Amino acid sequence: MKTSSKLIAILFSTILAGCAATTTIDEYRPTGEPIELNAGEKVVVLGRRDAGHYETDREFIGCVGKRMTGADIGVLPEQVFIDAIYPWFEPRTAPKGLPRLKRLMQDASIKAEVDKLDVRYLVWLDGSTETLDSGGSISCAIGPGGGGCFGFAQWDKLSVYEAIVWDLQDLTEKGRLRVDSEGTSYLIGAMAPIPFLTPVKSDACSSLGNQLKGFFTTQPASPE
Amino acid sequence: MIMIKMNRFAAIIILVILSGCSSSASVQLTNDFPQVLAKPKPLSAAIVFEPSFATYVAKPNAKTMIDIGAAQVRLLRNAFTGLFSKLEFVTSREEITSENAMVIIPSVREVQVSTPSDNYLNVFEVWIKYNLDLETVDGEAIDSWFMPAYGKTPDAFMASKGGAIEEASIIALRDAGAKLMLDFYRIPAVNNWVAEEQRRVQKSRAQQIQAQADSDPEAQSSTAKADSTEASK
Repeated sequence: MKTSSKLIAILFSTILAGCAATTTIDEYRPTGEPIELNAGEKVVVLGRRDAGHYETDREFIGCVGKRMTGADIGVLPEQVFIDAIYPWFEPRTAPKGLPRLKRLMQDASIKAEVDKLDVRYLVWLDGSTETLDSGGSISCAIGPGGGGCFGFAQWDKLSVYEAIVWDLQDLTEKGRLRVDSEGTSYLIGAMAPIPFLTPVKSDACSSLGNQLKGFFTTQPASPE
Repeated sequence: MIMIKMNRFAAIIILVILSGCSSSASVQLTNDFPQVLAKPKPLSAAIVFEPSFATYVAKPNAKTMIDIGAAQVRLLRNAFTGLFSKLEFVTSREEITSENAMVIIPSVREVQVSTPSDNYLNVFEVWIKYNLDLETVDGEAIDSWFMPAYGKTPDAFMASKGGAIEEASIIALRDAGAKLMLDFYRIPAVNNWVAEEQRRVQKSRAQQIQAQADSDPEAQSSTAKADSTEASK
């Protein structure tokens, strides 16, 4: 009895260990100094949406924003910023490089709106989560006497995201981050389907959010 | 009795599930669009929203219907305020009262929809192809501008067909606003019209000053002074 329990425990821990995602982060910053964020100044996290076959999803952007907000960093919701500057940050018009951003910020009305929103830094997120490979098969059946699923399926997911930080005051790039997260999920059909899901996207979000937090240091508000 | 009720209940559940799987979609866009952030040129325009445009319902295929009429009017009303300082919105050409305005008559050429089963991507796509007929108040054609707009859903996973098409249509309409703001004054014919209009305004102002000066020499010196102050500013 004890041996069989141990065997089951070993089997489950082996499967669960297989459900951990492997995450790699590459960081580039021109200087080792943290980016200063004065009291009242905010960061906005925006997703790139100009690629044809994928789109940086809003859920991921919201997740990274939440991670950063937890560290006393003021994060302006993406849609609020895009609506306030409409139509200059739509997929068609959003600046892809600093020269275009500089030209955009020369427009007094755009500059005034950015200042009004207290947005100091802009974080561009670009990437997606894709299913790379899948195997196995699972079939489910239902009848008058009951139903069930039998089989085994597995799939690999890869999340690749890049973050670029722009300073809207100096109109310079402050740093870049790239996160790669990969993992395999399983679905076992033993009467009921039992999923063992690897949180690839969630891992990519937490890693990227934590690393971005480390980019910024918040300055306390002056007593005045 | 209980058996009959159970059967009815099961039938309702199955109907609800099957209606959720239905591949037809009827969408009405009721959302608002953000105010455009742009400084308009000191020019006037009359926008003609013909009833066929204001109540346009797109039928890109037999199973899809998108009511975009009211939403596209709201979007264009908003977008044109970022292009022209003086605007007049009318429902037919005969109602135009502005003089020297550019007359703009938008129309929809075609609306296309692509679903994941068509494009093998996990997205819904919507294309709206507009045509803007640009004319002078006298009816002289300036240009006919083809303006395509595109929108897609970020991810179609777990989204209903109707919801996904609605989202993609809103993004396409926002894209139409962006395209208009970005490219309208880049149309060579519009650029020429703007230059001509500015020359006409300058000429009529000079004529006004001259007429004033002829009738009242004292006013001439004060106008000249005002002009020189304005120039120095």
